[in-house]
Amino acid sequence: MAENIQATRDAKHGMALAVTLWAIMLVSVAFFFKYDLPELASDRQSQDTLYYVILGLTGVAYIVIQSLFAFYIWKYRHRDDAEGSYWHESHKMEVAWTIATAVILVPIVFAGLVIWDDVKAAPPEDVFTIEAVGAQFQWDIRYPGPDGQFGSWRPELYSLENYLGIDPDDAAGNDDIHLINQMVLPIDQPVRILLRSKDVQHAFFLPHFRVKQDLMPGIMTSVWFTPTKIGEYEIACAELCGLGHYRMRAFLSIRSQADYDTWLAEQSQAN
Amino acid sequence: MSEGHDDHGHGKQSFISKYIFSYDHKMIAKQYLTLVMFMAVVGGSLAMLVRLQLGWPGQHAQFWETLFPAGMAQGVMTPEFYVMLFTMHGTIMVFFVLSLGPVSGFGNFLIPLQVGARDMAFPFLNMMSFWTALPGAIIILISFFVEGGAAASGWTAYPPLSAIRSAIPGSAMGQTLWIVGMIFFIASFTMGGLNFVVTILNLRTKGLKMMRLPLTTWAQFLVGILGLLAFPALAAGSILLLFDRGLGTSFYLPAGIFIGDTLFPHSGGSPLLWQHLFWFLGHPEVYIIMLPALGFTSDIISTFTRRPIFGYRSMVYAIVAIAMLSFVVWGHHMFVSGMSPFLGTAFTMTTLCIAVPSAVKVFNWLATLWMAKIQFTTPMLFALGIVSFFVTGGLTGIFLGTNVVDIQLHDTYFVVAHFHFIMAGAGLFGLLAAVYYWFPKMFGRHMNERAGKVHFWFTFIAYYGVFFPMHYLGISGMMRRIYDPNTYDYLKPFQNVNTFISISAFILGLAQVIFLANYFWSMFKGKKVESENPWHANTLEWSTPIHPGHGNWPGDIPEVYRWPYDYQHPDEEGDHAPQWQPPAKVKAAK
Repeated sequence: MAENIQATRDAKHGMALAVTLWAIMLVSVAFFFKYDLPELASDRQSQDTLYYVILGLTGVAYIVIQSLFAFYIWKYRHRDDAEGSYWHESHKMEVAWTIATAVILVPIVFAGLVIWDDVKAAPPEDVFTIEAVGAQFQWDIRYPGPDGQFGSWRPELYSLENYLGIDPDDAAGNDDIHLINQMVLPIDQPVRILLRSKDVQHAFFLPHFRVKQDLMPGIMTSVWFTPTKIGEYEIACAELCGLGHYRMRAFLSIRSQADYDTWLAEQSQAN
Repeated sequence: MSEGHDDHGHGKQSFISKYIFSYDHKMIAKQYLTLVMFMAVVGGSLAMLVRLQLGWPGQHAQFWETLFPAGMAQGVMTPEFYVMLFTMHGTIMVFFVLSLGPVSGFGNFLIPLQVGARDMAFPFLNMMSFWTALPGAIIILISFFVEGGAAASGWTAYPPLSAIRSAIPGSAMGQTLWIVGMIFFIASFTMGGLNFVVTILNLRTKGLKMMRLPLTTWAQFLVGILGLLAFPALAAGSILLLFDRGLGTSFYLPAGIFIGDTLFPHSGGSPLLWQHLFWFLGHPEVYIIMLPALGFTSDIISTFTRRPIFGYRSMVYAIVAIAMLSFVVWGHHMFVSGMSPFLGTAFTMTTLCIAVPSAVKVFNWLATLWMAKIQFTTPMLFALGIVSFFVTGGLTGIFLGTNVVDIQLHDTYFVVAHFHFIMAGAGLFGLLAAVYYWFPKMFGRHMNERAGKVHFWFTFIAYYGVFFPMHYLGISGMMRRIYDPNTYDYLKPFQNVNTFISISAFILGLAQVIFLANYFWSMFKGKKVESENPWHANTLEWSTPIHPGHGNWPGDIPEVYRWPYDYQHPDEEGDHAPQWQPPAKVKAAK
């Protein structure tokens, strides 16, 4: 029995573990400088700021705690003859690190609440509204057309021809523009996207715009944001929706106001 | 101690009453662990196939077709097969490995031994609990072979995908069997939880006050309560889901669902209800998996640092706080679901509260290491691994608990990384540490140390290799549960990261073969234990004979005189004073 413990006290493993922990810590932190959020293309800078603040704080905590942990493993390995310690209670220390942790978290929570309020607030007056309908496995995008009004829809009207269930008797629907897997938006103009699902849950994810919102059957959800960068982007489904979930992808093009207007006029004509 | 240990006051037992329908908590624990190892091999293999696809999308050798003629025809994995793989990986690992192992397995084994009881409070219920879990596991395994394959709506089984048969192939018979299997599992777990709570409250030996319990048993006590309160919500939810699937009810299904040119006649329900019910269980479930591992860690670290656990009292308060908070944080899984934004605010606040007791635990472990005399046994290495994982996974929880940051990271690989460290990593390492540590008590033999250390090194490094890079994928925007990330242009640059992860995963998987071989080899050929307390530990289980019989102690149950952490006590001779040692032995000089 005694030999068994002796054999396992092998301090080499302690040194190796300490070095491994340090190495993992350094490498894992270093790669955070290589991998970053996708380039931001909307006005949701504040979300990113909070992300970087948390990354900084937790990064420091990660480095300090893992290093200290590794240091103790290194320092207190294999000291059979050394003096031990029975000290195991310190009310002061317990209180100190409880409060310290709480104090660090409070600003994160409050900053988060303020930004959350911002993100979830009602959109500005000049917002314009389009609709994105999720169905296995495509995104149907609908623009209200020149009249600014969506035609009403009913699930009873869903069919392969009337994919969005638009009511043919509603005149407001006559000029609606219906695109499949394609969305075009003007830069610097707040946009609200109404989200509905025809079948299962989906999630409308714009990685470059810091926008994600589930499509919940039976509930109309929405998001709003302002694009700030001209370019071509991708729309992803981020909630498992079936075997084709991975290919439920659409394209988002952000254009100058002039280009957008031209595009919209073309679409209306084609309608 | 003599070898004639099996029949203290219980007469001769037949093979069936000893090994099959045993009432002995120790045998039931071994039955659970055997089941867990089998399920872990299945669940782990599913993960290997997931990584095969993600590492090299769409390019697999022809021979896979012989194994999976439908799922991998011509060596190309189908998307529906892929979805089934990760669904069943999650289900099996969360419920049938990480819950059944540390809780039903080690909870059963340790609670009576650590509280000084001859068995669980309700031995028959305990036996029933195993014989309910086993059919549950078998039903889950059978579901792979029914038409349409096993369930494929994620381990979270969100309706309508899980409620409407035509929504995905796995939503046919496979999903029904998933629900039935889960109901068996929940019934089993509830019986177990009841036993845990009653045994710990009522059957403690003389002198064993609650605040003298080892942290392992404290954790199991809270897990019993969590299971009793949380799992019934999922049981009820699952039965309602079954009704929606088979009886035409609309608990989770609103009007206007249109799949495959069919408008479904349901109306009035909401899939959001399922999310609430599921996560009301789902979040406590995370702690059901984690708390035992944290308990093992505390006890193992104390033993092998030859130090009392630092801040025992605050450790107890911390896990009690974590357990209580776990019931009021479930909404952080639903920040982008469309529930009221006010709830998002509330759940952020409750969620970040959990960081405080969690940090307290880490600081206490660090303080325990201070001035330690660390013995790097295999169980100790795994316990230290848990501390590292707990720090890594705990910190990433702050990102996800903050609703604003979660908008971007929700349902990305950042989440996958996070829970594989905090829950799966701690749970898996807790299970492994516990097996290495208590193996001598279970089988009277040691596991091979050399093989154990090789196992640790490959597992620990590969684990970081698999799951840390997933953070990078997550912040780069890669979604969970996608069959081929290269569908998206913006994700194409990260294929090399995925390939790296897959190679690490295969190393991680192969390393577990070392463990399984060591386990079964040591059971019969391992070095025999020479004393009842080979680690010189203080907890009560080490006062039983090398081969404890049914009833655990041949004579009277020992009385407890102290807490379980008297290592290096200045007034005691020797470096440790076990709980059953009277406090009289004061050094003469003092």
